[in-house]
Amino acid sequence: MEATMNKFPTLSQLLLGRTLFCLLASTIFCSAQKSSPSGELPSLAEARRVGRANSALLTKKQSVTATNGTPSANLATFKKDIAPILTKTCVQCHGPKKAKGKFRIDTLDPNLIEGGDLDWWLEVFDALSNDEMPPEDADVNLTSAEIGKVTGWLGSEIQKASIKRRNEGGHSSFRRMARYEYDYALQDLLGLSYSLSGNLPPEAGSKNGFKNSSETLQMSAMQFEIYRETALKALEHTTVVGEHPKAVVYQLPNSDEASSALDRNQISKIHTLTQRTKKGQKPPEIVTFDQRNRSVKFNLSNHLPDQGTMRITLRAGRSTMKADEFASLRFIFSAHTSNNANFSEVISKRAIPVSGSVDDPQFIHLDIPLSEIQRNPFRNNEEKFPRRDEFLTIECQSKTRGKEPLNIFVDFIEISAPFFEQWPPKTHRDIFFESPKRNKEPEYAREVLTRFMERAWRRPVKANEVAPFVTLFMKYRPEFPTMEEAMLEVLATVLATPEFLYLTQENSSTISEAGLASRLSFFLWSSIPDKELRDLAKEGTLRDPTVLKAQITRMLADPRSARFSKHFVQQWLGLDGLNSVVHVTDSALMEAMQEEPIAFFKYVLDSNSSLMDFLHSDYAVLNERLAAHYQIRDVYGPQFRRVPIEPNTNRGGILTNAAILTMNSDGKDSHPLKRGIWMLERILHDPPPPAPPNVPEVDLTDPKILEMTLKERIVDHRNKPACLSCHAKIDPWGIAFENYDALGVYRTKIKNKPVDATSALFNKKELAGMDGLKRYLLAERQDQFARAMVHKMTAYALGRPLTFRDHAAIEGLTVQFRKKEDRLRDLIHLIIYSSIFNSK
Amino acid sequence: MTTNPAAMKRRNFLRGTGVALGLPWLETFAADDSNPDPAPKRFLSVYHPDGVGLPVKEDPAWKDWSWFPRGGERNFELTKVLDVLEPLRKEITIYSGLSHPAARTVHGHSNADQYLTGAAIGGHGAYKNSISIDQVYAEQIGQFTRHSSLVMSTNGGIGGPRGAQTQSYNRSGRPVPALNHPKQIFDLLFVTSGKEAAAKLARSKSALDLLIANTRSLGRKLSRHDQETLEQYLDAVRDTEVKLEKARQWIDNPIPKVATSNLTLEAGPKEARLYFETMYELIYLSFLSDSTRVATFQLGRENGGGPHNLLSTAVGLGNAHALTHAVKKPKGWENLGTYNRYQAEEFGRFIQKLKDTKEPNGQGSILDNTFAMHGSASSSFHLSRNYPIISAGGKNLGFENGRYLKFGKGNEDNQAGAGIMSDSGWRGKVEVEELPLSKLFITVLQRLGVEASSFAGITGTLDRV
Repeated sequence: MEATMNKFPTLSQLLLGRTLFCLLASTIFCSAQKSSPSGELPSLAEARRVGRANSALLTKKQSVTATNGTPSANLATFKKDIAPILTKTCVQCHGPKKAKGKFRIDTLDPNLIEGGDLDWWLEVFDALSNDEMPPEDADVNLTSAEIGKVTGWLGSEIQKASIKRRNEGGHSSFRRMARYEYDYALQDLLGLSYSLSGNLPPEAGSKNGFKNSSETLQMSAMQFEIYRETALKALEHTTVVGEHPKAVVYQLPNSDEASSALDRNQISKIHTLTQRTKKGQKPPEIVTFDQRNRSVKFNLSNHLPDQGTMRITLRAGRSTMKADEFASLRFIFSAHTSNNANFSEVISKRAIPVSGSVDDPQFIHLDIPLSEIQRNPFRNNEEKFPRRDEFLTIECQSKTRGKEPLNIFVDFIEISAPFFEQWPPKTHRDIFFESPKRNKEPEYAREVLTRFMERAWRRPVKANEVAPFVTLFMKYRPEFPTMEEAMLEVLATVLATPEFLYLTQENSSTISEAGLASRLSFFLWSSIPDKELRDLAKEGTLRDPTVLKAQITRMLADPRSARFSKHFVQQWLGLDGLNSVVHVTDSALMEAMQEEPIAFFKYVLDSNSSLMDFLHSDYAVLNERLAAHYQIRDVYGPQFRRVPIEPNTNRGGILTNAAILTMNSDGKDSHPLKRGIWMLERILHDPPPPAPPNVPEVDLTDPKILEMTLKERIVDHRNKPACLSCHAKIDPWGIAFENYDALGVYRTKIKNKPVDATSALFNKKELAGMDGLKRYLLAERQDQFARAMVHKMTAYALGRPLTFRDHAAIEGLTVQFRKKEDRLRDLIHLIIYSSIFNSK
Repeated sequence: MTTNPAAMKRRNFLRGTGVALGLPWLETFAADDSNPDPAPKRFLSVYHPDGVGLPVKEDPAWKDWSWFPRGGERNFELTKVLDVLEPLRKEITIYSGLSHPAARTVHGHSNADQYLTGAAIGGHGAYKNSISIDQVYAEQIGQFTRHSSLVMSTNGGIGGPRGAQTQSYNRSGRPVPALNHPKQIFDLLFVTSGKEAAAKLARSKSALDLLIANTRSLGRKLSRHDQETLEQYLDAVRDTEVKLEKARQWIDNPIPKVATSNLTLEAGPKEARLYFETMYELIYLSFLSDSTRVATFQLGRENGGGPHNLLSTAVGLGNAHALTHAVKKPKGWENLGTYNRYQAEEFGRFIQKLKDTKEPNGQGSILDNTFAMHGSASSSFHLSRNYPIISAGGKNLGFENGRYLKFGKGNEDNQAGAGIMSDSGWRGKVEVEELPLSKLFITVLQRLGVEASSFAGITGTLDRV
């Protein structure tokens, strides 16, 4: 079994550097500090410039290219140039006399392609490239020219070994959809506007953090049954049977009939919206939200149907239209069944901005699936107690500057359920379309099934593939009054086939055009391809470079691409960690925290900015709640937008996002160890090894230790020999974050002592707080971060763990990416054009 | 409806305990000749990750916060960790010196998977598990109830190899996915599946036949590696067929009606107490209504992560997994002990309820016909030895409670591995003798009526139990 890229457990416990793809040797190792002899630190922008200028990836020549031939080992160079250097420098500690870290270099097989010591060589390569060996206190030294020679040779041998393994094949992206992909696929296929997959078990994360990884996506009987149930339910929600049901309608008193879009003939009853009013007071005909009245609550009694869509329509206008002020509405559904037994649910996914004026008011529509929200379970009871009523609350959130108040006037509200835009609805007609064969059942069933299966299976289907489903339909048909009802059961079976549930059903090593369409759509939309993609694949023109480029552009402009930003960023950064956090009590803050890294990523993507913005940027992407948390002024409203920031805000990039800092804390204070591990795993793609044996716990009952500051404790702990190896690698990264507390708020003092956020990396590079950390990353770790990102995004795009076989492909992509100035949108294009993306 | 005094009494009684029964489903069972014993025999296992606190004797915390009792078989003394079970003393047995031999030097984080299976899952590399004790019993008894077993966990699903989120494994060693939403469990157990159930099942059968045939033809187009992945799908379809077949036999029996007053079906692990109690209540109701006789419940997963870390908020403590790592911090042993105490308290509440409920169709209480165990696959810090196990009930099955049963040799005071705070502990040499937990499993299976002589490669029963 082949080791995945970040798993060499036995090795990693012995050695320090562990990334497979770490910095390639650079003969010009120029640190940021060295570049300014006066002792004044360069600006972050300067560090970024210098770091790019010194990129090893950008300066080295591509020596090995992918080939189908069998590469052979370059042993002559090893004998002539490499062995003497290693003998002179390494063997005294890692040889027959001493074998520090239980490692001997003199016995390694220099043939990386055929030999059995590849994993060890990778460690050697890392230790040298990351400047970790020989250690500072050793009495031997390696010149940068010597390091360059060794890593240069190793780099090309490693690449050859990777190409050889790649040519051997064996990896696979064949996997079922992840839960969120299934959810979107169902929505896109059926035109459903809400999630129905809540019953599916949660996905376990894979080692690389991705939930769409073929290694972890299991199937079980329970899972299978839930797929069948969910599919049938989704089909029932999107198709209709029988006559157009008449709607229950609620309106404000004396509502203006002309504003209603409802067909009078389709209404069963109109109820007047009533709210709690003082005795003798008439319910108002206009609802006003001002500084005192922030919400209005309507009693809908128990007239709403159990199923179907509830359409809420209202017409609203603002009293003032200042650009830097905002107003928005949100909708809450609730019930109070008895004393101390009540519940409420926010049914509007996000706050709906009010942008119309009083003179030119705006219509707002909100569609709610009544079967999917928390309803009053007693609503259909005969008895009046527990109370059967259901309530709708409309809440206004607004921000006013200056003296003139911003009020919202609503002069029209209409609630109707079940609501249909058309009859039969489009979702129904997409499945049961008009056809000359409409009344010839077996023929029409075949037509319906063929069209549906091509969409669900994402490829053309053959008559003999459709036939068994037609047979099944004929078998079911007598049990149902209508052909539609019988057909739904068959369609649900189509949605339980592996052709729908599984991705990459390919036989040859290069994926088909249909396979490419699916891979594209699951990468950028987390879902099935649309008609345009399917048609291009059917014509066989999707792979045409011009066509493909245009399609990527179209797909990224489509709203569905927001799913890519969301799910890639959540999985890359491990934002699930926030769900287990209990010390964030403000839900608006929690929501904003969860959103910030995604919004930042989306901004970088949409503007095709540099990946290095993630390390540091002179802007942040914020909404009002988060800006307040960061003490940044003049940001109003719930929506995220780019905000230029000054250095004294101590923000910029994603390392200082509240989400990252909060989930990597212990609930009360910062947690340097968690933050260090997070840095290594998520940003540098260099996960630390698991804790080795003989690790003593910090004894906090020892009074001496109790007196120490956290940093002193960490240093004390680290100085114990058993702890040193790991902690020297992890802690410094985390300590650099010490200026940020458990909620990510910037601080200069801890318990009245000044914050000490200075630490030294294992290679003796000093990190002076966040600023120093960013400067160091920008000056010296750009290649590593770029490579990490290419690796992670490719793993996500393919839905499988990358292995050593993919080394050469990733290396090549990273060079191309860096040459394109690390632009994020360009990276998407590069990955899609690559041969690895087009391979099985 | 005809009434007889006995049925009347029983119904009143059940109503009194919050359960309304839609007769005559009980009679259906009574009349079922194929079920040899009218009083159902039940098995429950509750698993908690992270082990328990085992300070060394010299530590001031030893007196109060060491998990294992002190003293002899009958005159044992409970420490503060388990003193909540004192009122149930006569109903419980506490064991020491038991563990699965194959896992004694495997890290505790990996070991939830094998707690009920005893399989040699190892610490790394290829992974294979085997059937768990609950599923062995379920295979035999499952036909007599609507659900052959009820598998629950706080995290739900199956987790990953060596990171199980279920305790239950089927005959081929595949994990049985656990349910974690109370609402979903309730609906599964007590909400009727519709009038046309029979027709629906027949349709499902046709659909599954089609899927199997169709999948075979897809499989032929795939590489060997991908075929293995597809095989898992086929297994899922076949398992579903087996379930359908069983469901077909149940169609004529109406689903029992139960009262929901003690259930908070929307509770999640964040509302630790409510969630915990609701999950236990669901087990209680499923036993009471004889919807199943086999249940497992796993409180989270090893190595933290996910909802179970929140359960400790019920006693005002943070992250449950971190408690095991923080025992050397001030009040560390006390905090871990307090959390274990809370787990014991909830288990005790459940046991008390079984004890207070008369067996609807047999002698004694429900507890008398139920073997309920509560434990973990590690004791001290990641040490996969000396499992801390409590069992309760089973009087009618032949279990004699009110005892502290020490097994093995050389660790009578439970100090082996006590106070360890480093991973050298779990790797350390096995120096004291422990008995295989599988021996207890064999005893349990035999008393449940399963003709078992070996389990996970171990033969023989456990003396004195």
